[in-house]
Amino acid sequence: MKVPVIREKIFNRFGSFVNVKRFSKTWMGKHLTMIQLTELDACMHCRTCSSQCSVAVAFEGIPNNNILPSEKLASIRALVSGKELTLEEFRNIQEGVYLCTHCNRCTVVCPAGIDLQNLWIKVKELLLQRGIPELSVLSPFSFYRGLMRKETGEEDYERPLVQAREAIAAQCDLMKRKDKLLPLIPADRKFKGGLNLSAQAKTFSVCFGCQTCSTVCPVVANYENPQEVLGLLPHQIMQAAGLGLKDLAFGSNMLWDCLTCYQCQERCPQGVSVTDVLYELKNLAVRYVKERVL
Amino acid sequence: MKFALFLGCQIPIRLKQYETSSRAILERLGVGLVDIEEFKCCGYPLRNIEFKAFLLSSVRNLALAEKKKLDVMALCKCCFGSLKKADYFMKENVSLKKEVNATLEKEGLKYEGRIEIKHLLSALHKDIGIETIKGKMATTFKKLRIATHYGCHALRPSQVVGFNHGVSPPLFDQLVEATGAESIDWPMKLECCGAPLLGINDGLSIGLGLKKLNDGKKSGADYLCTACPYCHLQFEKVQKKILSQRNLGHPLPSILYTQLLGLTLGVDRKALGMEMSEIPITGIEGLLAKETRLVEQPESTEEIEEREEIESNEE
Repeated sequence: MKVPVIREKIFNRFGSFVNVKRFSKTWMGKHLTMIQLTELDACMHCRTCSSQCSVAVAFEGIPNNNILPSEKLASIRALVSGKELTLEEFRNIQEGVYLCTHCNRCTVVCPAGIDLQNLWIKVKELLLQRGIPELSVLSPFSFYRGLMRKETGEEDYERPLVQAREAIAAQCDLMKRKDKLLPLIPADRKFKGGLNLSAQAKTFSVCFGCQTCSTVCPVVANYENPQEVLGLLPHQIMQAAGLGLKDLAFGSNMLWDCLTCYQCQERCPQGVSVTDVLYELKNLAVRYVKERVL
Repeated sequence: MKFALFLGCQIPIRLKQYETSSRAILERLGVGLVDIEEFKCCGYPLRNIEFKAFLLSSVRNLALAEKKKLDVMALCKCCFGSLKKADYFMKENVSLKKEVNATLEKEGLKYEGRIEIKHLLSALHKDIGIETIKGKMATTFKKLRIATHYGCHALRPSQVVGFNHGVSPPLFDQLVEATGAESIDWPMKLECCGAPLLGINDGLSIGLGLKKLNDGKKSGADYLCTACPYCHLQFEKVQKKILSQRNLGHPLPSILYTQLLGLTLGVDRKALGMEMSEIPITGIEGLLAKETRLVEQPESTEEIEEREEIESNEE
């Protein structure tokens, strides 16, 4: 009985060695360590990581297999073995790797002892540098990346953030007009009606433009000439939503530079849920840009 | 009193001392904690991307607690805010609730909204009560000036989270003053720490954090007091990083409220993780009153006079 087991083991070792050799020749494999390449081969796909993953539940709302660690690893393995990926597949892996809170649970529970979290971090950076915009970088999932900024090169660190904003800006033609005189014809009724994920988001319609939200906003207060940096200010975004001017609402930096501190919402005399509207606009912008470009 | 403890993703891996110190003080105060291993992300970072994913992640945790008939106690203010908002959305919109519950049913879960969601601070203030806490104190601080940092996601929107008054909240200040420390007035008390934008727009995030720290220093604070991992990491790790890059004078160290309270309750300093801070906070232990006060025996007027005399002599 013992002999075949040993033979199997030897064979596995050998097979793994051959695989690792093969992996190390692809663009991604070149950047991973020998240990990481061996680990890719050590995964038994038992899915313990996926059952413990903090973000796994998101899969029900964002249908992307690669959110689940076990599937993510399988995709990375395919990538490293040189499989040609379509743009969509690539983007899905990138998004899946990005939607991680770095809670380390997957690594702790892996029965094969694979250092999964560090693998995600490494692969994430490698993918982000390939130039395909990832909109999730504009979410608090980036917190860990910010904490660990030192470990990424300065240029490499900023690039994905710039790319994501550029990808959004590219879809917002009206923002580029210099004369700032806009015809009201492009008013998008569908867009107005689309702000309906929660009842809060409809409150933009009662905004009477008193500017209290923009006055109390700490982000607006941070700049001498806020419009130059931020585009539309909170009260103007509420108005843009009211007028159905999607480009102006999506294309303003204000949307992505919102701290979500809820000062505006707390103080609004009209009961407009300003922060919740901004949240919802972000969701719609992500969806809109994804559909059009990615 | 019993709560399901909601730790979230940051605390167990990046701020262990918050977990250990919370457990230690709550044990001392006689609060039972139940760990639900199936708890996962509160959904907070998902809300920028997809509302439904956020809501599902959040409500799933609430459903797990409801199944065990336990109220939830969150340590993180962003977790607390997210859970509270999710609870609010579920109660506000019946069709949304149906949709979420239909997905949760795959796991045999369902959320009806029968439990309460608390933050550690609100539980200490409302459920346990300041008098009870004071009664268990072994000693108090003297001549300690603390700047309280409330944290946005616990405080606002006040109608939804119901933590405390949204514009002039006294809750945290009262809790800090219970330890004998002075809770100072400072202009930027209720402002954001900048952490939500870390990694998205670092210049802005760090700029806002620094503004707040400078304001605290100018107002004469010895320490900043927090009760949220995001705020704390921003004032600690990020402050440390900036200090090494620019010359900003002395740092304003940040202490967790559980550590502050733990010291007065006489909890083992190892459980409080006093040595684990990147910007040292051990100096605060020197400000604890030396003589141990007898529990539940308020000082008589004579004693107070005597103490004041000694203090003025010292000065």
